[in-house]
Amino acid sequence: MDVEYTERVKGKDYRCKSCGERFKAVGKKPTCPSCQSDDVEME
Amino acid sequence: MKWSLKDDLLILEGNNSFLLTGRAENSFLLYIETFQDETSQSVQEDDLVVVSCPEGGGIEPAAMLLELVRRYHTPLVVLPKNHPGSSRLKMVVAVSREILTSCSIRRRTHPEQHLLCSSEELTGIHLKGEAGNVIADNIPKGVSIRSLPPFHWQLHYK
Repeated sequence: MDVEYTERVKGKDYRCKSCGERFKAVGKKPTCPSCQSDDVEME
Repeated sequence: MKWSLKDDLLILEGNNSFLLTGRAENSFLLYIETFQDETSQSVQEDDLVVVSCPEGGGIEPAAMLLELVRRYHTPLVVLPKNHPGSSRLKMVVAVSREILTSCSIRRRTHPEQHLLCSSEELTGIHLKGEAGNVIADNIPKGVSIRSLPPFHWQLHYK
């Protein structure tokens, strides 16, 4: 499938303050993909 | 113009192309997979899932794609720029609270996620999800809008 996306939009880097997982996310409510916590900080 | 939607769909049809939209209905994490890494997007229930078919085609596959995203949370796989397979993909999907259609962007290459590639006859349409409703503005003349029941799989494999 195709998706509206761009090489310039790769998401921002976050770290989950609950489990320490590092991940990339887009959107207004970044959520940890590992533990589903929204207690995250931008790196 | 405002339409109240639950799990049903809204189709905006021009002469040769269409947009199919529905509410996400539930909160979930949508994964976007590229060759380099994985990005997650936190989708909220009033976000919109919009499938654009700039060259027309069947409504059923567009509805299937929409349901694969909103009901089954299927990850989106992004091909690298200029991949030969891109020309075979006739449907484009976007997930966002607000979506603006544009015919002046190259498919898959625009800088903002709320922009969605469309045909010229459907360009400039603004779609917004809000409290169980879909609000559509700037509808070009000649575009018809109607609601459709949600796609239900005809066969149930267990």
